[in-house]
Amino acid sequence: MKQRICLLGLSHRTAGIEVRERFALADPHPREQGLITGHSPVREALVLSTCNRVEIVAAGRTDKDLSPLIRDYWVRLCGAQPDELIPYTYEHHDLEAVAHLFSVASSLDSMILGEPQILGQLKQSYRRSVEQGTAGVVLNRLLHKAFSVAKRVRTETRVASNAVSISFAAVELAKRIFGNLENQTAMLVGAGEMAELAATHLLSAGVKRMLIANRTHSRGCELAERIRGQAVPFSELFQHMAEADIIISSTGATQTVIRKRDIQGIMKKRRGRSMFFIDIAVPRDVDPDVNALDNVFLYDIDDLKEVVEENLSQRKSEANKARVIVAEETDKFAAWMRSLDLKPTILDLLSKGENLGRKELKKTLRRLGPKAEDPEVAQALEVLVFSLAHKLYHQPLDFLKRRAQEEDAGPRYIDITRRMFNLDNDPPTPDAHPERKTPGCRGRKPS
Amino acid sequence: MNWTEWMELFVLALYFCGAVLHIASVLVRKPAIQQTGRILIIIGFGLHSLDIVMTMIGVGSQIFGQGPFYFSLLAWTLIIVYLVLSWHLRMHFLGLTATPMALIIFSFATTLNTVEVTLPRSLLGLWFGLHIGSLFLSICLLAMAASSGAVYLFLENKIKGKSKITGLSRDLPSLALFDKVNAWAVNIGFPLFTIGLLSGFLWAHLTWERFFSWDPKELAAIIVWLLFALLFHQRLVNGWRGRKPAKLAIWIFGLSLVSMLGINFFLETHHSFQP
Repeated sequence: MKQRICLLGLSHRTAGIEVRERFALADPHPREQGLITGHSPVREALVLSTCNRVEIVAAGRTDKDLSPLIRDYWVRLCGAQPDELIPYTYEHHDLEAVAHLFSVASSLDSMILGEPQILGQLKQSYRRSVEQGTAGVVLNRLLHKAFSVAKRVRTETRVASNAVSISFAAVELAKRIFGNLENQTAMLVGAGEMAELAATHLLSAGVKRMLIANRTHSRGCELAERIRGQAVPFSELFQHMAEADIIISSTGATQTVIRKRDIQGIMKKRRGRSMFFIDIAVPRDVDPDVNALDNVFLYDIDDLKEVVEENLSQRKSEANKARVIVAEETDKFAAWMRSLDLKPTILDLLSKGENLGRKELKKTLRRLGPKAEDPEVAQALEVLVFSLAHKLYHQPLDFLKRRAQEEDAGPRYIDITRRMFNLDNDPPTPDAHPERKTPGCRGRKPS
Repeated sequence: MNWTEWMELFVLALYFCGAVLHIASVLVRKPAIQQTGRILIIIGFGLHSLDIVMTMIGVGSQIFGQGPFYFSLLAWTLIIVYLVLSWHLRMHFLGLTATPMALIIFSFATTLNTVEVTLPRSLLGLWFGLHIGSLFLSICLLAMAASSGAVYLFLENKIKGKSKITGLSRDLPSLALFDKVNAWAVNIGFPLFTIGLLSGFLWAHLTWERFFSWDPKELAAIIVWLLFALLFHQRLVNGWRGRKPAKLAIWIFGLSLVSMLGINFFLETHHSFQP
């Protein structure tokens, strides 16, 4: 019997929003809902359900395919027939499933490449399956690896850097001009939806003060209350504009609202301090000539769109680098999976003992000096060292062999042994393994 | 070679490695490399300070008649100005220009061993120290303002022209920070330059009994001072920021460079390094 991993899922790539809604799993519990039972070969399971994807990962030692079991569980929960689900799903087995999960965690499969939410959602799903006791040796290792792959992708590639939305691009440009936004004042001219979004981004980037000038004053006051800004009368627009460093304009006016000579006067009042105009209105509110003034910067919606497109294409080229990382890590995981069989572990353990013995033997022979030249002494020592190594490991190996006969316990004990003797040469990890927090065999239920 | 020469070579090597690491960190975009570079520069700076003090003690007052000493002092001033500015403004970018510049100046100090001038005894006065110290400081500040001004112009052009900000320029600090370097250089550099100039004239009066001798270097200094005064005035009174002060700072620094290298080496002047 072989250790298998199977992943069944649907995502924004394969299914429309209605289908995703229909097959979303709000409160999954694979153990109580009958995916993991005493008779089922599925021993571990994790359910990830977000607005863009639903995926179920299952692991177990079996010769059979796990996917029909997962599919039955899924459609049963949603009250549907398998035929309704099949056209929208994809299926990955073993290493393919591992690679897919690594890509999902690194946000390479997301609708917006590199967006950070998916990792948090995956962590949440994993936490739930740890709490429900449905994550065992394989899924623990798999998810921990997925999180570290995501981290590696984030630090080693630029897949997640650079804004890919209009308002984030505006905030990034503002930072390029002003540096820290903590002492800056921003002003909204017109209180549209787009302006509000940009305002929230600016506020979360640390902007100190937010002024709102809207033609309908009451609407301006409403928005001011919502985002904790300060509404000013539209008639006093230019008096207050002198206080603002960043101006987001989005009025529905058909003619230019902010002209060059208005700004010339304001710049005098501001003693040359920089101003950044973000004109997201169509038709435009700000006279394009404003950009020609010293220390005044103007970006309209098309300029920002170009920045966003440029950033997106950069993310795409970075994604190729990220895929190389995913492939590397999948190979490493494959090696670990193979080691879960009993035989390699026995060999590793014995050779570790023999290596240690050989090293100590060398040291001792050196210390003995001329006495070691006697072949009998050397041979006696060698016999002593190796038989000690073999005898020390005899009982642990015997124990492992017996446990390996039991269906689920085998991989678990093998994994523990490998970690205990550090057979994989892993660096010591400071973060506590979730298994350690709650004692007991959680991968198993008495049958 | 005596031990001071060995020490100077060692300082030179440290500055060289520091400068290379500063440049490399920008090229491969790894800030950690710059950190190492800065540590090397700081160690080099410590040894350099020791070298200057030891030479002053060892050689005595004659040191002020030796051209290389001034190069060494100028490199030392540049490093300290860079360290203070980068620490104060959290702007390590300046190292990219300051460290290679200091390296070049210091390498002059170690190679130009032949130049020696005998100076009047009255050189050792307070005025002379003030003259050299304040002028060197203000020129080093100008160097920082000019290099950050050049980058400011480059980056501003990109933002205004809406061209893609890719590659190396992505790692640049904000425009506001570059302008801050200019503000520092002007607000501190100009008063220092004025003090340097006045103390020089005063010292000339005490030594040669005349304030002004139509020396080419003195003329150049007056022109630089006038431009510097213009920049100081416009920044302080008319609120100049960004492009214009950046450009003017580059001009002023260029002119003082010409006056320092060109005039000192090639023209007849009592500031000459020629024997």
